[in-house]
Amino acid sequence: MSFRIKLLLIFAVTVAAAVGLVAWGVSTTTRRAFERLDEQRTAALVAQFQREFAARGEEVVRKVSGIADAEATTRMAIELSSQKADPSAYLDDATGLAKSYQLNFLELAGNDGARISSAQWPARFGYKNEWVTAEKNWNAQGAFLRREELPDNVALALTAVRTVPVGGKNLYIIGGARLNKGFLASLVLPAGMRALLYSNLEPAFVAEALTDASGPVKQAERLQPLVDAVRKSSPGSPPIVQTLTWTTDPASAETFHAIPLRGRRDELLGVLLVGSSRHDLVTLSQTIRNLALGVGGGAMALCLILGWWVSARVTRPLEQLAAGARAVAAGDWTTRVETRGRDEVGQLAGAFNEMIRQLAEQRERLVQVERVAAWRELARRLAHELKNPLFPLQITVENLQRAREGSPEQFDEVFRESTAALRAELANLNAIVGRFSDFARMPTPHLQNVDMNEAVRAAVRLFEPQFSAVGRPPITTEFFLTPVLPEIQADPELLHRALQNLVLNAMDAMAAGGTLTLRTQAHDSVVRVEVSDTGAGLTREECERLFTPYYTSKQHGTGLGLAIVQSVVSDHGGKISVESEPGHGTTFRIELPVVPPAPAAESSDAKV
Amino acid sequence: MVAANAAATTRPHYGGTLRIELRASVASLDPREIPGDRVQAAAATKIYALVYDRLVTLDEHGQPAAALATSWEYDGAFKRWQLRLRPNVKFHDGAPLVPEVVAEWWNAWHGPDQTASASGDTVTIQAGKAVPELLMELAEGPRFVFHVGSDGVVSGTGPFRVTEWQTGRRLTLAANEDYWGGRPFLDGVSIELGVSSAQQMIDFELGQADLVELEPAQVRRATQGGRKVWSSSPVEILALVIDAKSSAVSDARVRQALGQVIDRAAIANVLLQRQGEPAGSLLPQWLSGYAFLFETAANVEQARKTVSDLSPAPGPITLAYDGTDALARTVAERVALNARDAGLTVQTVVAGASGITDVRLVRLRLGSVDAARALEALVKAMGEQLTLPAGAAGDPEQLYAAERGVLESGRVIPLAYVTDTVGLGPQVRNWLPLRWGEWRLPDVWLDPSTGESRTSSSSPSGTPR
Repeated sequence: MSFRIKLLLIFAVTVAAAVGLVAWGVSTTTRRAFERLDEQRTAALVAQFQREFAARGEEVVRKVSGIADAEATTRMAIELSSQKADPSAYLDDATGLAKSYQLNFLELAGNDGARISSAQWPARFGYKNEWVTAEKNWNAQGAFLRREELPDNVALALTAVRTVPVGGKNLYIIGGARLNKGFLASLVLPAGMRALLYSNLEPAFVAEALTDASGPVKQAERLQPLVDAVRKSSPGSPPIVQTLTWTTDPASAETFHAIPLRGRRDELLGVLLVGSSRHDLVTLSQTIRNLALGVGGGAMALCLILGWWVSARVTRPLEQLAAGARAVAAGDWTTRVETRGRDEVGQLAGAFNEMIRQLAEQRERLVQVERVAAWRELARRLAHELKNPLFPLQITVENLQRAREGSPEQFDEVFRESTAALRAELANLNAIVGRFSDFARMPTPHLQNVDMNEAVRAAVRLFEPQFSAVGRPPITTEFFLTPVLPEIQADPELLHRALQNLVLNAMDAMAAGGTLTLRTQAHDSVVRVEVSDTGAGLTREECERLFTPYYTSKQHGTGLGLAIVQSVVSDHGGKISVESEPGHGTTFRIELPVVPPAPAAESSDAKV
Repeated sequence: MVAANAAATTRPHYGGTLRIELRASVASLDPREIPGDRVQAAAATKIYALVYDRLVTLDEHGQPAAALATSWEYDGAFKRWQLRLRPNVKFHDGAPLVPEVVAEWWNAWHGPDQTASASGDTVTIQAGKAVPELLMELAEGPRFVFHVGSDGVVSGTGPFRVTEWQTGRRLTLAANEDYWGGRPFLDGVSIELGVSSAQQMIDFELGQADLVELEPAQVRRATQGGRKVWSSSPVEILALVIDAKSSAVSDARVRQALGQVIDRAAIANVLLQRQGEPAGSLLPQWLSGYAFLFETAANVEQARKTVSDLSPAPGPITLAYDGTDALARTVAERVALNARDAGLTVQTVVAGASGITDVRLVRLRLGSVDAARALEALVKAMGEQLTLPAGAAGDPEQLYAAERGVLESGRVIPLAYVTDTVGLGPQVRNWLPLRWGEWRLPDVWLDPSTGESRTSSSSPSGTPR
């Protein structure tokens, strides 16, 4: 990934994170504020419900007390207290009284609790209200919530009971107001809130029993889990809260607080559900999110444009630096980068240019030094190589001159010996010159498939008799050859020559005997060959100069063996390296591509 | 019953208009158009009887008596009937009542199996098969003689003639000065139709109505107010009719338990405010004479045991009632309550509101004052089959056996008999209806000395009886 892209990504992520954090913060704060407001509104509505509940209860008590205190009721109680009383005569009295006093429910019950008249269920006369006779002092009691059974359903009623005692017998007046949608309609609801009442007390959930101020609630069955949860709760439990989404639109969400409505004995009789629409919250959240997305998107676009421009300004000099570095690496020491401004990047470009200039100068000096050193070394080697045969030549010639002064026989004998020696030394000179000549004109590789393992074995096989020659410390060979190696494209003769030089070099290094180890490996279309000895090893300086032509660390050597190896490896597109430490032997490592790079092949073809 | 003729010793007084209020809304004064609804049919019959006459009427014992026909003869096979018409009778449009008009009227009613022909002052009816009960048929139901004038107006010969008719709302009648039975004491009759029971009670208490229909619940209020109340003998029956296709009550033991658990006395005494009687049979005691032989007392324990022995437990039973009848609703709810005591679940619904009902609460009116005809009509109305053996009409034992057979099937469960109850204003005198509720308004007169002076007396132009 380029630096420019990284810069752009950093800008983008930073902007997105900043906008996201702001949006999240605003959204969270808003939601919490709404939830606090929602709780306050719910609490206010519940308090209002309780106030209305209490007010309705007082109203019911007042009406029932009014009926009980009426003269007609007293007269009725007196008549009913007589032995010959006919309760059937009062069958419809409760209906009339309920209408007069605007009560939804009214029953008149005799001393035994048996209904004399029922406004809500006239046919129920004669059936007893067992609960009403269990309480002794109804007149001191207020209104309470009660389950009122009706012919076709069950209702919740705010009920009050009063008694009219006559002659030791009670006439019970049981009146009540229905807790229904009319009651809910009397509640003043803040916008977005509604109150629902579930008044069914049967075990099974009845959707029709759930009503709000306008009537039965749509999709009431979705509130069943909430009602069931309230049913399972115990008195004193905190309100149960649940949020429902009525449609696929999140703005249709509504949070419900379920408040249990309990009777005189804490029995659960109904559930008040206070619903608070989350429409405003969801809409605001959506607006914030959309705004954040819009701002974030705009900021991202602006960031990309500015980031691109800024990063371009920052990275262009760096790219020029990189291009300059690549050019230098390719050998173009004249490369310079443009320096703009005096900022850090400009200073970097200037430093780069200065570095390249100094490197070029140092390189030039080094080349000249090396060249001088090479010439000196060559002169030294030439002097050394030529000095050896020249000295016998000089001696031989001097012998010949002295033999002229002797007898002809002696001269002839000396002449023969001297010419033989001269011939030999000349041949030696010729060989020396030939080796230099050979190095000067290394042959062009003729590529063909070569099995590297076989090439290694062939090179070692040539020297095996010398490894165990009499009078010489033995050299042991170890092979660690990878069984399956890809064949490489190489010149077998040159390769053999290179390996032979390495083996010979190792044998020279182990004059006191040792172990010659040969390894082959294949890795990523490259075949690696290692030739290790256990000789005296090389110093770091020796290693650095090891492949310099005419350099040798041996007493007798032209210094061309490893140079030839390097030349062969280089001609095959490979590379050679050496690892050595004094006293721990030396390892030469050759890496050859399976297929040499094109220039080598083209060069080869061209020369052929 | 409360005798309303407390002032019978007072001399009759001509004049005044009797103000009547009825719940029913009669849509037509044409006697050929009898409404199907029970209440409307009863009201229509009462109104038609004021404007039209029958050939034969019923006396206070329920026996045929002379009306437009003064005498009759029939052959031994009951196929040929000769009815002699009352002379000098005129329709309200002035047309005379002659045998030809009556024969035409008859033939318009009947097919070729019963043809009428005129001869002198006699109408002869020839039937294809025996019609031994022809006189009862003529005396009951919608057999009112009428005449359609050239202007298309239907005229009758009854004691009152129509002076104003606001369809379905108000009917004003004037005394028929030429009535063959003598001019009625009343100058007129004003009938308000479609008046609710509550409004009738208010008008009655305010003295703005002289004759109103009373619901059972209103009787005590009316009597406490010192008003006169008259109740007929039981003329209607409340009963449960089992749907033959219902699976919920297909088990006879369920039906038996339902019949046993109902507290009929409570229905009669409390819901009907003693304006009815517990019913164990279809025909009331006054009509059959054997109704006391049928059990009416509830046996809750036995019903509970019957239900508890059932396996599987019976399912809910749907009981349909007439939604326009408040009494029917209360009775249905009481039945449901009683059934719950036995372990039966009865759900009450308004008839027609639910597709499937197991039991219907029916309120049927006696179709005849003849026990056999009444029983046949009731059983037929309940959707059951009843074929009385020959001679059963006059044999209570056969009638009893037939009725018991119907009831033992358990498909009909009688609950209570209901009376017709009316409230009478203080001015109403000589209120002498027949025990089955048929009015006799020509005999009624208003006492101007009672109550406010709201009518002016007039001299009778007809012949006082």
